[in-house]
Amino acid sequence: MKNTCSSISNFLEKYFDQEATNKERLLVERHLQECQACQDALRSMEELRALIKNPVEEAIQKEDFPWVWQKIEREIRLQKKQTWWQALRSWLDVSPLFEKKVWIPAVATAVVLLFITAQIFFKKIPSYSETSVVEYIESETNNVMVYDIEKSKLTVIWIFEEPEEDSATS
Amino acid sequence: MNLEETEMISRCQRGDQEALKEIFDKYHKKVYRIAYGVVRQREEALDIVQEVFVKLFRSIKNFKGKSHFYTYLYRMVMNTAIDHARKTGKQIISSLDEEGSFEPVADVEKGPERILLQKELEERVKLAMDKLPAEQRAALIFRDVEGLSYQEMAEAMGCSIGTVMSRLHYGRKRIQELLKDYVVPPGKSGQSLPKL
Repeated sequence: MKNTCSSISNFLEKYFDQEATNKERLLVERHLQECQACQDALRSMEELRALIKNPVEEAIQKEDFPWVWQKIEREIRLQKKQTWWQALRSWLDVSPLFEKKVWIPAVATAVVLLFITAQIFFKKIPSYSETSVVEYIESETNNVMVYDIEKSKLTVIWIFEEPEEDSATS
Repeated sequence: MNLEETEMISRCQRGDQEALKEIFDKYHKKVYRIAYGVVRQREEALDIVQEVFVKLFRSIKNFKGKSHFYTYLYRMVMNTAIDHARKTGKQIISSLDEEGSFEPVADVEKGPERILLQKELEERVKLAMDKLPAEQRAALIFRDVEGLSYQEMAEAMGCSIGTVMSRLHYGRKRIQELLKDYVVPPGKSGQSLPKL
C-alpha cells in the first residue's frame, strides 16, 4: 500500500487541481477507495484551499469599489500634467550640476587649468647675467656671434677666427 | 484573445482612456481578488487595484500580444501586490507580536468567540502566506483563489508547467506546516476542527 501511495501522491495534487489525465484520474480514484491516508491528504488540501480562498470571496462580495475608477482617472490626469511640468523643470533644472560627481571633477579641472594658465602668464624670463645670445651666423670666411645686452643696450659682435691648421686643410 | 478585446487594447495603447475604463470594468474584480489574496486587507487591496490600472495605462504600449492579455495583467497585479506586502509585512508581524500570541478558543459555538476565532484564523493565514517565497505565494493565489489552469499560470509567471507544479507543491506543504493547528493533518482521519 505504501508503494502505491507514494506513486499516487505524484498524481494526487494534479487530481485535486483537475489537471490529471484520464488515466491518472482513474488510478487516483481507484486508490482513494482503499486508502484513508490519501483521502485525508486530499481533504487537507481542500481545507487549505478554503482557508486561502473563502476570505477573498467574502471580501469581493462585500466590495463595491467606491470611487476606485475616479481615483484612477485623477491619478492619470495628474501624471499627464506632471509629465509636462516635469519636462520643463528638468530642462531648467540646474541642480544636477550640484551633484558631487559633477562639481568635484569640474572644480578639479578648473584648478588644473588655472595652474597651467598662471604658469604661462606669470612665468619669468630667465636672465643670463646681463647677456643674451641673439644670433649665431656662419659664413664661408668667419663665424660671427652677435649679442645684444639688454640692460646696458650694447651690441657685441664676436668674430671667430679659424685655426691655422683648419685653413691649411680647407 | 477575441477581436473585441484586441480592439479595446489597441485603443488603450493609443491613449484612449475610455478603453481603459472598459478594461477596468472587465477585470477590476479579478485584479482585486488577486490583490486581496496577497495582502488580505481591503484598503491595501483597493490601493493596489488603483495602482495597477494606472501602471497599465502607462505600460500597455509594451504589450505585444504574444501572450494572453489577462496573463500580462495578472503578472502586473501579482508583482505590485507582492511589493506592497513586502513593505508592510514586517509591520504586521511586529504588531501581532506586541499584542501577544493568540490562543485558539475551544468553544466556537458562542457568537463573539466565533468571530474572534475567524479573525485570528484570517490573520494566521495572512502571516503564513507572508512567510512564503513570492513565487510559491503567487502559485497558490493563481490556483486556489483565481482558479487558473497550470498552463495559464505558467504564462502568467513566465515559467514552465513543471515549475508551476513544484511551486504549488512546496507552497502547499509549507502552508500546511504553518497552519497545522487549523488544517486536518493527513493521516488523522475522522477528526476535524469545527467549521467556521
